[in-house]
Amino acid sequence: MEIPFVVNARKDTGLFNSKVAIWLFLASEVTLFGGLFSGYLFLRLYADYPWPERTLPVLPGLINTAILIASSMTVVFAWAALKMRNWRSFQINMAITLLCAAAFMVLKSIEYKAKFAHQAVRLESADHPVLDFAILEGHLHKAEIGEDGKLHHAQKDDKGNYSDEAFYANKIIFEADEFVFPLSRHAYGGFVDTIIEQAQSQVVPVTGALKSFFDSVEKNKSKLGKKELKQFEAAQKKGSILSSNLKNLLEEIKESKISEVSDELMALSEYPITLAEDFKLYEIDEDGKRKELEKKNIPAGESLSKSVIAYAEKYFLKAKSEDAQLRTHYLKSAFAKRREAGDDRDGWQIAQSPEFLELQAENAKQIKKRSYSAPGTITFKAEKPLTLHLDPGYVITKDAKQLTLRDDTTIKGTMGDSSMFLAVDGIDFRFTAQRAEEKGIAPEAAITKSWVLKQPELKKIWDSHQEWLRAHTEMLDAKSDKKGLKGEDRYVPTDNEKYRVNWDQIVAYQNYDHKGIYDRAKATINNEASEKCLEKPGWIAGFAGPNHKKMSFPEVTIPRENIGFESTFTPKWNTYYAIYFTITGLHGLHVIGGMIVLGYYLFFGRKMYESNPEWLANRVEVGGLFWHFVDLVWIFLFPILYLM
Amino acid sequence: MSADSHDHHDDHHHELPFWQKYIFSTDHKTIGIQYGLTAGAFLLFGFFLMIVMRWSIAYPHEPLPGYLSWIFTEDWKARWLADGKVTGETYNMFGAMHGTIMVFLGVVPLGFAAFGNYVTPLQIGAPDMAFPKLNMYSYWIYLVGGLIMCGSFFFESGAAKSGWTNYSPLAGYADRQFVNQLMTGQTQWLIGLVCLITSSLLGSVNFITTIINLRAKGLTWMRLPFFVWAMLVTGFLLLLAFPPLEAAGIMQLMDRMAGSSFFMPTGLYSKADGVLDISGSGSPLLFQHLFWFLGHPEVYVLLLPAIACVAEIIPCHTRKPLWGYKPMVWAVIILGFLSFIVWAHHMYLTGMGPVISTFFQTTTVLISVPSVILLTSMLISLWGGSIRFTMPMIWAAAFLPMFGIGGLTGLPLAFNLADLHLHDTYYVIGHFHYVVAPGILFGLFAGVYHWYPKMTGRYMDNFLGHLHFWPSLICMNFLFFPMLTQGMAGFHRRWYNGGDAYLEKGAEGVNVFGLTVLDKISWNEVMTASAIAMAIFQLPFLLNMVISYFWGKKIENDNPWDATTLEWATPTPPGHGNFTFDPAVYRGPYEYSRPDHDEDFFPQWEEPKRSQSSETPAPKEETSA
Amino acid sequence: MADSPEEIKKAVKKFQIVGAALFVGTVITVLVATVPALDFGGHGLDGVDITIGLIIATIKASLVMLIFMHLNHEKPLIYLFYGMAIVMAFFCMALIGWSKSDPIQYGNEKSADGFYNADKPATSVH
Repeated sequence: MEIPFVVNARKDTGLFNSKVAIWLFLASEVTLFGGLFSGYLFLRLYADYPWPERTLPVLPGLINTAILIASSMTVVFAWAALKMRNWRSFQINMAITLLCAAAFMVLKSIEYKAKFAHQAVRLESADHPVLDFAILEGHLHKAEIGEDGKLHHAQKDDKGNYSDEAFYANKIIFEADEFVFPLSRHAYGGFVDTIIEQAQSQVVPVTGALKSFFDSVEKNKSKLGKKELKQFEAAQKKGSILSSNLKNLLEEIKESKISEVSDELMALSEYPITLAEDFKLYEIDEDGKRKELEKKNIPAGESLSKSVIAYAEKYFLKAKSEDAQLRTHYLKSAFAKRREAGDDRDGWQIAQSPEFLELQAENAKQIKKRSYSAPGTITFKAEKPLTLHLDPGYVITKDAKQLTLRDDTTIKGTMGDSSMFLAVDGIDFRFTAQRAEEKGIAPEAAITKSWVLKQPELKKIWDSHQEWLRAHTEMLDAKSDKKGLKGEDRYVPTDNEKYRVNWDQIVAYQNYDHKGIYDRAKATINNEASEKCLEKPGWIAGFAGPNHKKMSFPEVTIPRENIGFESTFTPKWNTYYAIYFTITGLHGLHVIGGMIVLGYYLFFGRKMYESNPEWLANRVEVGGLFWHFVDLVWIFLFPILYLM
Repeated sequence: MSADSHDHHDDHHHELPFWQKYIFSTDHKTIGIQYGLTAGAFLLFGFFLMIVMRWSIAYPHEPLPGYLSWIFTEDWKARWLADGKVTGETYNMFGAMHGTIMVFLGVVPLGFAAFGNYVTPLQIGAPDMAFPKLNMYSYWIYLVGGLIMCGSFFFESGAAKSGWTNYSPLAGYADRQFVNQLMTGQTQWLIGLVCLITSSLLGSVNFITTIINLRAKGLTWMRLPFFVWAMLVTGFLLLLAFPPLEAAGIMQLMDRMAGSSFFMPTGLYSKADGVLDISGSGSPLLFQHLFWFLGHPEVYVLLLPAIACVAEIIPCHTRKPLWGYKPMVWAVIILGFLSFIVWAHHMYLTGMGPVISTFFQTTTVLISVPSVILLTSMLISLWGGSIRFTMPMIWAAAFLPMFGIGGLTGLPLAFNLADLHLHDTYYVIGHFHYVVAPGILFGLFAGVYHWYPKMTGRYMDNFLGHLHFWPSLICMNFLFFPMLTQGMAGFHRRWYNGGDAYLEKGAEGVNVFGLTVLDKISWNEVMTASAIAMAIFQLPFLLNMVISYFWGKKIENDNPWDATTLEWATPTPPGHGNFTFDPAVYRGPYEYSRPDHDEDFFPQWEEPKRSQSSETPAPKEETSA
Repeated sequence: MADSPEEIKKAVKKFQIVGAALFVGTVITVLVATVPALDFGGHGLDGVDITIGLIIATIKASLVMLIFMHLNHEKPLIYLFYGMAIVMAFFCMALIGWSKSDPIQYGNEKSADGFYNADKPATSVH
């Protein structure tokens, strides 16, 4: 059996099969991206926050556009080469197409990476509850929890690396004493792991016999292998040691007096979170009496582990199941009795009848006597407070004494200092201004009260910005004789210019006294000598955004209660980034798909070229059509996402 | 794009190994049967979920009886049932999955994929689909998608619970307590959906290409059987309507997995999670738009294959040409086009602007015109025919009034004002179940009885057929007609206890139709009994399928119904490659009872005699490559 | 489609010209959006800028479709279904974008909390 019209076109339609298919597929792609663009349109039209206009660095997008156009050209050249039976030219053009595609993806990932590393915070302040929607952008700095249990800036070591304990300073710090895990919501999981992991990396000071043990190991260091030596050094430096590392060390150095320090070693290897009370399980014996299942109890003092919780949950569920069977049985029998007694009304009427309620009351007594039970929660205690640092997204409610995590795990203890360390590379009051206008308040009045302007470094930048804005407004005023169609003033500063300080402006303002900014801005506008101008970093310096390695930005410590909403520049931050990542991500997947198909023709097409070159040309044409479509989508994406 | 790589030439005499012939087959007939069996299994599962739900509606105070609860483990019952009774949460889960399974995993694959796959290439005289491997991938992706969706019943989170429409924001944050969002029913639903959409897209590309490019010699557009036209339009609906839902599915996946707010409004609060940690500014309305952009064309994806089957069966079993073939073709094309711009009539209550509601109300009323053309043409086709009440014809005859009820009860819902009252009541449920169950499913049953002889070489048994048909017809009506009146009394479609809780507060409350809940609540038990009875009376059908396969009456020749379309020109059952001769077509699809012909049917493939030279011979130049 | 080598050589020349036009179009879009002196309409991003950007993008897209994807001489069937897809996508975008337009309800009375402001009557027509 052979399918017709695979290579040659059918006469009446003028098409070969795969050409019909690719155009159909492209038609479906049109509505796929149509759906996504509809989403973009809707979200932008009806956004209730200031839509981030022209917010992405243009250069990578521009280069990517050029790359895709170039690859679109080379792919038709490749097809033309095949049509002219020029294999060499086909290879070269196709290879260029693939290289372009790869370059596109590399640039894309550079852009993505920059966004993922860029933090944003929407502020909230107690004295300004409805209006402080100021947004700060920047990079998080790393923090450590010091021996005093407080948050400190993490220090780099000689090699310029942070220690393993350092974390980005936007965590919720909590001194935990007690953990209550729910067994009934069946949701515990990742958070137990987080707690155990953090408990294991607790800092434990080394003293007494253990210290001398370490010293003796120190003397025999030469006997350690490279890896063990590294572990040992890490353990010494941190004053703590992980149990698995410890075992390696013990096996390695047999001549040391392990027995003298074994207790301390064991204490070190076990993190001190244990079951608070006996977890008791019952069963009902043949006489219907409740009997404790001593063998299956979990004794108090059992260390926290996932398997203990799983065990407890298993028995909780078992008890619940037995109980449910009992209740189901009695409920069924109650209905059966009523129906036997000749009650032929509807079920809901029977259920309301006094006779039925009487039966149920009787049953309730039976059930109570024979009911199984197991606790619905399991509680662990930390022998000494455990300092947890948790992702804010895990935590649903927090107060000074208690946290509730997303899976209903409750943690009791004391709230620590959960501030955020942020090197600020963007200040944005547009949201504040929008909300102020909605409330009938002057935006400037609302901005003045913001938490941001209480920070001296940021205040200085904002003042500088006002100076720049003054010069900029004057420049626009000079042009304002050009009116719009309805006589409106077309030359006024945009909201972006008025309420937002961009990273390049921050870099520029930091170099000068804020009072001089006005003159410098004027000089820039008038194209005066460059030493008088306001020097801003150019497109190359901020290729994919502000570069924190090469430029310095003011750092602020934002208290947790002033953080309204925080996220990196991921889909979570706002609907603009959500649609940006979704559309460009899907587009990127199309690029990868196209690469695979075109790469297949390049690397495995030779055989077909020799046997049936027309067929290969057809395939390359079809693959090329797909590739043009990918280009086509980008032609719209670039202006919409980068320039509007 | 290029799954057509046939480096080797299949040898007719070469016997394929079992797994290639029946499991990973590229033969459109095997794939069609695979689709049919899988979809049938899913339909039965969806039916079972419905019976559990109906139990809860009729007997909200009573534990599930043993014949419904034996399938669940004790642990599952402990989690999801309260003292053996169905809880609201479980009802929601079953409701969401019942809808999803029936629509996406049952009826669409059965109608479009199973019948379309088996019959279309045969009817156009093609050796197979244009891309046989792609066809195989379609099936396997569909199966994987379906299993992913249903597999979530075994998760701790249970399966999806936010309705088959999966409306955000509910679906956006359901199961939020689970740390691993990937392993929740709601997320798995979306992943399954993306698989199903991919499968549908591959399938529709394949169908349309096949119909456009692989027609036999002489099979011009207006000689295509109506079945093929319907499949072509259905293919386009799937092709163009599904992608926006894929976009919506991906966006909702982002909402769940990446914390975005596509469909999550500002300030969203839930009792369990407090004010959600999201940016907001998204809109549930956007999800509904994207969902119903598919959702409404999907209705016609369900319906057209059934109409297609009936339109084939009626001329054949009445020995009379299909009345108004051309108007029907145009009607189905216009229907397909209009179905893209009526979607927001599902959304009158969302707070859309009234301007756009009016627009959609107008287009919705318009679309009833082509629908009525289709139904009326088929009805008129019966007039003056010599109707043979064979099993397929009985089902097809029942389809007409049943679908008529379903269609006509939809009219009030098209109007904004009436819909405000009837929205989300059992009236809506009654309306679309009349369309889908006694309508579409009856049409498809007719198709099974009609083409079964071609698939197996044996007729299905008549006695078992009647035992299947009559009780099904009666039960369907006892199940769905009360829904219409209940709906007018204000029964809400999401009452898991059938209105029982409502009784305590407002039993005597009369709504605009002057009906009360108290009046109508007793129907619940009748409807549930009908549903259970209907389940029982599907057994004759299942038995019939098996028994007839082995012991059914053998067919006399390759064309047992004396039909005119090309599928009956193949050997029975058709081998790989379908035709033993090079098929050519000389006339229209429904040449029955032609006075100038000796027999009462004149097949498309039969060469005209010299005296009938007015018939166009097949164009000679069209030879296969 | 052009099949003889001469025609293809001619076509290649055409592809080069179109490619150049696409590059030029891209550069113009960027310049119009970033250089203040080329800022049409009022200062900053406004309807004029968006229109110009979309017009240039549409021209570029049309060039790609007509020349690279050779829709300028394609079979009618392909016009039919590709055109249909564009019409459907247009319906999708237009009707969804239009869907909240309501002279009565969605005015400025919506407060930033996402709730309707009770102080202002919901019937105020703008």
